[in-house]
Amino acid sequence: MPIDFSLTEEQKQLQALARRFAKEVIMPVAREYDENEEVPWPIIERLHDVGLLNAIIPEEYGGMGLKMLDEVIVGEELAYACMGIYTIPMASDLGITPVLLAGSEEQKARFLRPLTEKPALAAFALSEPGNGSDAAALKTRAVRQGDYYVLNGTKMWISNGGEAEWVVVFATLNPELRHKGVVALVVEKGTPGFQAVKIHGKLGQRASGTYELVFEDVKVPVENRLGEEGEGFKIAMQTLNKTRIPVAAGSVGVARRALDEARKYAKEREAFGRPIAEFQAIQFKLADMLMGIETARMYTYYAAWLADQGLPHAHASAIAKAYASEMAFEAANQAIQIHGGYGYVQEFPVEKLLRDVKLNQIYEGTNEIQRLIIARHVLAE
Amino acid sequence: MKFVAVIRQVPDGESRLRIQGGKVDLSGATLILDQMDEYAVEEALRLKEKHGGEAVVVGFGPERAEEAIRTALAMGMDRGVHVVFEGFADPVAVAEALVPVLKEEAPTLVLTGGQQADWDSQALGAALAEGLGVPVVAWTTAIELEGDTAKAKHDLDEGAEWVRVRLPALFTTQQGLNEPRYPTLPGIMKAKKKEIRKVQAEVRARVELLSEEIQEKQRLGRILDGKDPVAAAEELVRLLHEEAKVI
Repeated sequence: MPIDFSLTEEQKQLQALARRFAKEVIMPVAREYDENEEVPWPIIERLHDVGLLNAIIPEEYGGMGLKMLDEVIVGEELAYACMGIYTIPMASDLGITPVLLAGSEEQKARFLRPLTEKPALAAFALSEPGNGSDAAALKTRAVRQGDYYVLNGTKMWISNGGEAEWVVVFATLNPELRHKGVVALVVEKGTPGFQAVKIHGKLGQRASGTYELVFEDVKVPVENRLGEEGEGFKIAMQTLNKTRIPVAAGSVGVARRALDEARKYAKEREAFGRPIAEFQAIQFKLADMLMGIETARMYTYYAAWLADQGLPHAHASAIAKAYASEMAFEAANQAIQIHGGYGYVQEFPVEKLLRDVKLNQIYEGTNEIQRLIIARHVLAE
Repeated sequence: MKFVAVIRQVPDGESRLRIQGGKVDLSGATLILDQMDEYAVEEALRLKEKHGGEAVVVGFGPERAEEAIRTALAMGMDRGVHVVFEGFADPVAVAEALVPVLKEEAPTLVLTGGQQADWDSQALGAALAEGLGVPVVAWTTAIELEGDTAKAKHDLDEGAEWVRVRLPALFTTQQGLNEPRYPTLPGIMKAKKKEIRKVQAEVRARVELLSEEIQEKQRLGRILDGKDPVAAAEELVRLLHEEAKVI
């Protein structure tokens, strides 16, 4: 049987757990954390309690060893309740992934095990104030001095940056070497000279903490370097090739929520003497949403499956991420349209869906960068 | 000590049910461990954690009901017994099919939800107790073991009473007894390795199901005229208090 779309019994249970968690724990408070621009620690603690936090850490380091397919199943459910809150565990996985890909046994034990023993987060720092898509143009400097690297520079838009136990920081040993000069260093919270400044005023995903990280003569021990000098850029790209798959999954979750809210409203709201769901103009929007959700979910599962099989997945994760995030943005947009004026105010949940999912088109590589990755794949033949 | 929770699988409260050919069609419904039974599972786990022993989940129903048994195992129950039966069985017949299995298990306490969603007329608990020849305390909100007896709080319409029964005994559970835990991810992984023993049910049905239909709830559609807001508010409070009896 070469193709099988069924979930295993454990995956169904995992999905049920995440769905219930989303509904009972996240949904009732999502609006409040969004309004207050506050990181929801009680939810992070509950995620840890039920085993859903940092669950991609392998069992030998105290984690659950979740595969990418498991992760996307969970991601869709959590993002259904709040994309901003889902970004917190998702960005922690983003920080964990380079350690999984390039860390030594000793580093994995040292950095990963503590993240399984208590509610704790990791983070990933690549973007800078002056560069995002041109990742190889980074300016944060690492200079080797004996057993240390001395780190100077600023990182920007770092999810979990102020909460994380440690941050994987990408720095250059020599800017002229561009991507060949990059080194990946694990910087632990509280290291002298390392400061995190919270960024306020975000459009959406306001429950996740986004930070500017400042490094002033920060001494990072050589044993915190992942891989070799010059391998940092490759580690960063391999990480993002994996972790943009959960961004796609989160997008599917947001779109599913948009459809559910739009359906509910369309069946209740009346115009011209009947529920607006009876009008084809509304029905076509609902149908388009479902077409997008189903195709994006299937493709996201496919990208996850490739990653789990150890097969090349860079183009597939790029397609999943760009396609799903654009589909979800449009689904949220149409959900607002169906709600009319009510969709434009906070009394209904659809305006938040649009604000939140906009970020899915930007972070972990803008959708323009995804298209470059896809085009490169096309032209390589 | 051995604590047994008897569970059933039911449609999620938000599932939309349809009638097909005079029968409820569950094919599109999400099926879950009955929430009333979740209190039974949680209580069995708490009693085991406090007093030691074994917590066993016994499920009745078709093959798919194994999912609900797995959920209980993921919550922490030690092992499961699945009494397999496809089709409709009335609660007394279900009890008769379960009694031999329960007698074999010889539990100290049997716990089961006060009712199965809305399908068993609240009869399963009482019928099981009758079949086992043990005392039953229905609709409990507290259970305490004291030697070879148990003290339990039993809800009445307008109050509650504490009773004492000799063990073994059966208790039916409901909201207020405890706060059921989540089946955690580690629990789900461990549940894979736990035993579920399958027993083919012998059912002697006394009731034949002819057809089913879904009750259509009509709204009262009462609209208060808000021209005088004070009078409208007073009338609303009166209606909610005297007619709807919700405040």
